[in-house]
Amino acid sequence: MGKVMLEVNDLKTKYVTRFKEDVYAVDGVSLKIEEGKSLGVAGESGCGKSTLALSLIGYYFAPLHYMSGEIIIDGQNISGMKPDEVRKKVLGTEVAYIPQAAMNALNPTQKIIRFIEDVIQVHDKSLSKKDIYDMAVERFRILGLPPEVLQKHAVELSGGMKQRTVIAISTILSPKVLIADEPSSALDVTSQKMVIKMMRELMEKGFIKSMIFITHELPLLYNVTDDIMVMYAGQIVEHGTAKEMVFDPVHPYSKGLMGSIIVPEEGTRDVQLEAIPGTPPNLKHPPDGCRFAPRCKYAKPECKVYDVPEKEFEGHRMYRCIYDVDYLKEAYGRNG
Amino acid sequence: MRHIRRAFSVSTFDEVIVLKGYLKYYGKRIMWYVLTLVVAVFLNFLLPRLMPGDPVQQLAAQATAGSTDPTVYLKTVEQYTKEFGLDKSLPEQFFIYVGNIFQGNLGTSLSKYPRTVTDILGGSIGWTLALQIPGIIVGWFLGNLLGAIAAYIRKSIDTVVLPIFMFISNMPAFGLAFIMIFIFSNKLGIAPSGGGYAYDLVPNFSMEFVGSVLKYYQMPFWTMVLISIGGQAIGMRSMSIYELNADYVKYSRFLGIKDHKIVMYVFRNAMLPQITGLAMSFGTMIGGNLVAEMVYSYPGIGTTMFQAINTRDYPLLSGCTLLITIMVLIANLVVEILYGVVDPRVKAAQMETE
Repeated sequence: MGKVMLEVNDLKTKYVTRFKEDVYAVDGVSLKIEEGKSLGVAGESGCGKSTLALSLIGYYFAPLHYMSGEIIIDGQNISGMKPDEVRKKVLGTEVAYIPQAAMNALNPTQKIIRFIEDVIQVHDKSLSKKDIYDMAVERFRILGLPPEVLQKHAVELSGGMKQRTVIAISTILSPKVLIADEPSSALDVTSQKMVIKMMRELMEKGFIKSMIFITHELPLLYNVTDDIMVMYAGQIVEHGTAKEMVFDPVHPYSKGLMGSIIVPEEGTRDVQLEAIPGTPPNLKHPPDGCRFAPRCKYAKPECKVYDVPEKEFEGHRMYRCIYDVDYLKEAYGRNG
Repeated sequence: MRHIRRAFSVSTFDEVIVLKGYLKYYGKRIMWYVLTLVVAVFLNFLLPRLMPGDPVQQLAAQATAGSTDPTVYLKTVEQYTKEFGLDKSLPEQFFIYVGNIFQGNLGTSLSKYPRTVTDILGGSIGWTLALQIPGIIVGWFLGNLLGAIAAYIRKSIDTVVLPIFMFISNMPAFGLAFIMIFIFSNKLGIAPSGGGYAYDLVPNFSMEFVGSVLKYYQMPFWTMVLISIGGQAIGMRSMSIYELNADYVKYSRFLGIKDHKIVMYVFRNAMLPQITGLAMSFGTMIGGNLVAEMVYSYPGIGTTMFQAINTRDYPLLSGCTLLITIMVLIANLVVEILYGVVDPRVKAAQMETE
């Protein structure tokens, strides 16, 4: 077992809306990532994936608020720190973030190199512009990005190039944990491949020590990450290795999610596409009991009453359902 | 040094192409400006001549007042008509007019005969430029600052200060000028009510004269500034709110960049569309600020134009309007070039027009 890079214990965060209502978007998430490993987070839109990403950074500003729980990065607990301390000591060097919409993540009127200078100078004022330039050129070259990009403005770059530039900038200080929030979702397939290749390289070359990859594209996760975690309504419903999660999911929601993948095969056009009925619950008033119960086809009356604890099975896997693993596996067998 | 050269060498080829595109783009733009100028000159020539009333008769009547001989009056009219070239046909007059413009000759003033228009305008343009350009720029800058602060801090600035300036902004400039005179000259007595300098002084570069000019300068200057703050601030406020919620602001925050630095990014980006507002201020200058000049009897173009209209002095009037047109066109061209230089997005768009 490798060194634990990121450990999260029962993290709870909420959004406070304009009308002072609380929305519990991350509700008791625990996870652990070892050095050199990556974790994928999957789920529908609105299930709290992106909020989890923002919460893990540890730098909160309205409307997102920290409630309780711990975030421990490489042995250092960052959840109790003051925002300014987090900004100086954690952001960029310990945790780095790649935003969902990297298209607009760069200041349109600033040259890329100027922005890199600003980022680096937050942590190290002693470096001269020349040092920073050399450092950036070196890093861009290793990651296969043309160094000319540094002298350009964001508007002059293509979508894929912009995304890869953002990744390079986020990781320029070699963070211990990289949180990538749908870094490839808005790209065409070739750019997507390049982005994925780049993420792998970052890991192989040791520029990042661990990674959380958030996406709604499950087939992608299977190719990129070691573990996969499925989120529903702010909670983790199942956690396992990528292979297990894709080929042998247990929880009815994960099963439904995997079943919703459209595979280009002979005859798929004629087959009725299956989706999970309903939509995720409103997190202002989360339902009692199992949050998935209103949409679950195996739900019993007691599902809607009792809170369901996380259950471990097969030693390392985890799921959150009232039924036993064996029963769930059997149920799928019966219903096809 | 090495890295500078490297930084340059990677894009030398690009730079050349960019420069070419630039020249082509601005060449085209300047052509349009010239065309606008030609149309303006034509209207300038035509409109005063379509105005009712015959200034020559009025002038002759003034010159021959007291004379009882009607032939003297008729002769004077004839002499003036010839001197001003009004006996020729309109197209002929136009070509003479254009030819004269190229020689810097805008004709002779009717009301201040025999002073030439160029001479009169030369005496007032300096006053107007010295008032309008700083007034508009300071007003624009303060307006943007207020808008940005209102967007960033909100609270009382957003709900009290900004509406007050909005209210002031929506007054006509001459109305505000009257209010200013009423408050600061009549009631408080701390500022002179009009003129460019004290009456008992002769223009020169002595300390006394400059001091007097500065004292008389305050009222018209602050009128211009107050008028433009509100309009600029409201635009800047919404631009800043939009920019503060932009993705790059969030991303910069998550990379640990300090808030005050991010505010600088936002301020700069929100300010860019406001450059259009600056160009528009120069455009609307005539309607507002030049009229305010008259209220203060400030010795600038506005007052001169007002006198020209009153006395049907159309060479002087068309001289004024021509000068204003040229000033506005130059201001717009400068703003447009400036915009392309400071905003890479606009620069890219300008290149793409090819």
